[in-house]
Amino acid sequence: MPKHEFVVGMTCTGCSDALTRVLNKLQDVKFEIDQPNNLVWIESDKDVDVLMETLKKTGKEVKYNGTK
Amino acid sequence: LCSVSLRIEGMTCGSCVQSIEQRIGFLSGVIHIKVSLEQQSATIIYDHSLQSPESLVEAIEDMGFDSSMPE
Ligand SMILES: [Cu+2]
Ligand SMILES: [Cu+2]
Repeated sequence: MPKHEFVVGMTCTGCSDALTRVLNKLQDVKFEIDQPNNLVWIESDKDVDVLMETLKKTGKEVKYNGTK
Repeated sequence: LCSVSLRIEGMTCGSCVQSIEQRIGFLSGVIHIKVSLEQQSATIIYDHSLQSPESLVEAIEDMGFDSSMPE
C-alpha cells in the first residue's frame, strides 16, 4: 500500500485527537501523526482526494506532500 | 428559526473553536453559531427546514469531536 504524507496544521494534541477520530472512522487505513511537526502519514489504497477530504473534515489546513 | 445548545467534547484550543465555527457556520440552514471552549458547548441558530439538532450533532461528530444534545 502506498504511504501518503500530508501536512496538517495542528496547534495542540486536541487537534491531533480530532484527526485520529476522523481517520478511525475511515476503514482500511493505517496512519501515524506527528503533531509537533504537523505531519500525517496514511497508508491506504484509497484515492488521495478521499484522504484529503477526510483530513479537511477537521477544518484544519491540509497539504499533500506525495508518497513516501 | 430554532436555537439549540449542544455539548461538544474534545475541544482544547482556539483553533478547535474556530474550525467548528467556520465549518458548521457554513452549512446551509445554519444562521449563527457561537462556540464556547470553557463550557464545551455551542449555541446554534438554525432554519429547522434545513437542519435539526440531530443533523448538527452529526456534522460536529463528523469533524472528530464528540457531541450530544443537552439533557
Ligand atoms: Cu489544537
Ligand atoms: Cu484545538
